[in-house]
Amino acid sequence: MDFKFTEEQELLIQSLTDLLEREAPESLIAELDEKHEFPWKPWKALADNGFLGLGISEKYGGTPADVLTQCLVAEVLGKYAFPLGVIYGLGVITIRDIEQFGSEEQKSTVLGGICRGDPPVALGISEPQAGSDAAGLKTRAVLEGDEEWVINGQKIYCTISNVAKYILLMTRDPQIENPYKGMSMFLLPTNTPGVRINPLPKVGWWSVPTCEVFLDDVRLPKNALVGQLNNGWMQLMANFEIERIVLSASCIGAAEAAFEDAATYANQRVQFGQPIGNFQMIQKMITDMAIKIENMKNYCYKVAWMMDNGMPVRHEHAMAKLYITQASFEVIDDAMQIMGGLGYMMAHRIQRLWRDVRVMRIGGGTDQIMYNIAGPQLLKKFKK
Amino acid sequence: MNIIVCYKFVPDPEDIIAKPDGSISFEQAEWVISEYDLMAIETAVQLVEAHGGKVMALSVGGSQLSNSKGKKDVLSRGPDELYLVIDDALSESDTHLTAQTLAAAIRKMGEFDLVICGEGSADLYFQQVGLQLGELLGLPTINAVSKVEVADGKLIVDRSLEDEVEVLETVLPAVISVTTDINQPRLPTMKEILKAGKKPITEWKLSDLELAGKAEKRIEVLNVRSPKQVDRKRIKITAKPDEAVQTLIGYLSKEGVL
Repeated sequence: MDFKFTEEQELLIQSLTDLLEREAPESLIAELDEKHEFPWKPWKALADNGFLGLGISEKYGGTPADVLTQCLVAEVLGKYAFPLGVIYGLGVITIRDIEQFGSEEQKSTVLGGICRGDPPVALGISEPQAGSDAAGLKTRAVLEGDEEWVINGQKIYCTISNVAKYILLMTRDPQIENPYKGMSMFLLPTNTPGVRINPLPKVGWWSVPTCEVFLDDVRLPKNALVGQLNNGWMQLMANFEIERIVLSASCIGAAEAAFEDAATYANQRVQFGQPIGNFQMIQKMITDMAIKIENMKNYCYKVAWMMDNGMPVRHEHAMAKLYITQASFEVIDDAMQIMGGLGYMMAHRIQRLWRDVRVMRIGGGTDQIMYNIAGPQLLKKFKK
Repeated sequence: MNIIVCYKFVPDPEDIIAKPDGSISFEQAEWVISEYDLMAIETAVQLVEAHGGKVMALSVGGSQLSNSKGKKDVLSRGPDELYLVIDDALSESDTHLTAQTLAAAIRKMGEFDLVICGEGSADLYFQQVGLQLGELLGLPTINAVSKVEVADGKLIVDRSLEDEVEVLETVLPAVISVTTDINQPRLPTMKEILKAGKKPITEWKLSDLELAGKAEKRIEVLNVRSPKQVDRKRIKITAKPDEAVQTLIGYLSKEGVL
């Protein structure tokens, strides 16, 4: 069993680490968070150094990369600049969907733009009455005169839609009884008349805006459809597993950052005449945190490796997402505990990681949905 | 314009461990391109991007240079070709033997317009190799170069001195050593990293080269010791500012640092 990364992966990680130390120092990430600003400058630096094109075909200006390499990139981003890791991870699904199902025109316009530094395409699924239960979708697309789609509806929790050029929008045809056979996918330019986007205040992700989107008589050309009509659900699901594992990888990076802060602090903070790291209670916490980080990495890399080798990961990806997003939050929470008052202060990054990582147990499928995916699959194996 | 850029492979300074007895351990250290040479590589790549030609990277040293990742690392930073002289006799080479070997390798490599070195190495920082190399090749040699341009087949450089900047012009070929502020080296992209594995590499041993003199070192390193580590004193001074300053000065004088 070879746990070693390839030389190319090691060089890529080093290059990305150097780039982030240069272009996305902690002071900048903290400032952008405080100002609720999208990280445009470091995002452009990632594009200029070829990281945003990873996983995109050379034809559109990218560099093909496997899932494991994308996970490693997300992990490093998560460690040094978590918002960048989130934005990168969010892009994985829309990039793959467009590359896999989009028209040539859609691919060259959208994917080329992302390689040059455009924000990823936002994903418009959730609605006030439809989240994990996508069957509740109410946004409708009606073809008028065989030339134009007219779209009406509302989306919610549509992350980065106010900075993105496009939303990959899911609609549903209510005439088709089976909701999973009545969904379609559209490429919606965010500057289309009738589109109104409002950012929503939230606990974390202050540099990564999450919005509600109102769609009132939005008119799109016929060729705005991505893939096949009424095949949207299948198209969406085709790449959800990869998105979940790449986003999970960014959480590992955040946990590593918190662990390093806590371990350094435990060596420095003197109480009762000695560094608190001398106390066994702290040593236990540090050790448990390190074990969780090691487990998270192993799980993530293994599932990524399975994906890269064409193996099904139906329940494995859900279990990995569930474990990693929970464990990373636990590590960060323990780091805050070790750091005491300092960890709770806005001046330290631990509080930001704590706020930012919490939502990872909700977005991309809640913990409960991950159990819901994995449980039946696990039991199925033992049904006689 | 064909440019040879010399670089040294050194233990990563961040991984070097000073042991309690003062000895230095490189056992945990990953070997990396000396950080000062990254600017030399970037200078060469920028000149070739502007004037055409190719960049040939060259290094001499011990078996660490055989490291495949190290080869890809340097080639991912822009050079078109890599030349290495790998020999156990070069593993702890001094500046004289390094310059001798580089000169012999450069003579074997063929025609070139410019040789670029970093201002010093990250491990020893003698700042001698570039100058000795120029002398051995019998070429115009300039160190402390902080800006470089090529015009009408000549090289125009800024040479940063303590209180002034000299602007010098020289014919080509020449040998220059560049300072750390000459540029900010680019970082390798995935595309360049993947391309690196396909670029040509030539490896020689010392016996493949014709050195001008004997392949011997002129400096013998007897011992390397790190300064003795001292525990923090953890002294707290509680007094009014003026008195506290005096007390602090007293402590510092007592320790012999003032």
